Amino acid sequence: MRIAAAVLAAAVLAGACTPVAPYQRGYLARPDMAMEPAGAGTAKALEKIYPAKEAARGGASIGGGGCGCN
Amino acid sequence: MRPVLIVAMLCALALPAAALAVGPGGAIPRIAAARLGDSSQRLELAKLRGEVVYVDFWASWCVPCRQSMPALDRLFRQYQQRGFRVVGVNKDVATGDALRFLQRVNVSFPLVADRDDAVAKAFDVQAMPSGYLVDRNGIVRYVHRGFTADTAMELRTEIESLLGSGA
Repeated sequence: MRIAAAVLAAAVLAGACTPVAPYQRGYLARPDMAMEPAGAGTAKALEKIYPAKEAARGGASIGGGGCGCN
Repeated sequence: MRPVLIVAMLCALALPAAALAVGPGGAIPRIAAARLGDSSQRLELAKLRGEVVYVDFWASWCVPCRQSMPALDRLFRQYQQRGFRVVGVNKDVATGDALRFLQRVNVSFPLVADRDDAVAKAFDVQAMPSGYLVDRNGIVRYVHRGFTADTAMELRTEIESLLGSGA
């Protein structure tokens, strides 16, 4: 029963996979499919913004008094 | 169920895909495609029978195509008087990408679009770029997958051979 359930789950999950033919790789070459989609420097900018948004800045590598002044 | 039966069923499922693949000795698919950038005009591959034809699948995102397209254009210009034709089948998602590529790498042979993948599926293209050299009787004689300087030299010999043999 467990094996049957595992096979069924695998079959359902496999249904979500779509093979990309060699001639269809233009879809993967689109700028919005890139690891850094919105252009050069975006990942670096997000890295800077994210800790501030999450109120998590400070304490990463430098000790501080926890004043929140960054 | 017996394992032999399961293997036989899997083989039966794989057969239609194998039968579709166009390789040396197979006939060129009878298919038509719209001209790149002008969908009102169509090019039928079957109408090129009687000439030696190289059907090349290319795209702006395909790095070796930057080498293959100028090389094919040189071969086309050199041998077109003797009955050699090149048809470039574009596989870009957006026509604009192809036209931008052609501004940098301009070619003189006819180009067609294949937005619905019908031509690529008919040939069962396995790599980019892929080229099929077809003789005067409409039979695929050579298939090239990928493109290097060696491919250009091999292609020249094959074209010479097919133009000379009259096949």
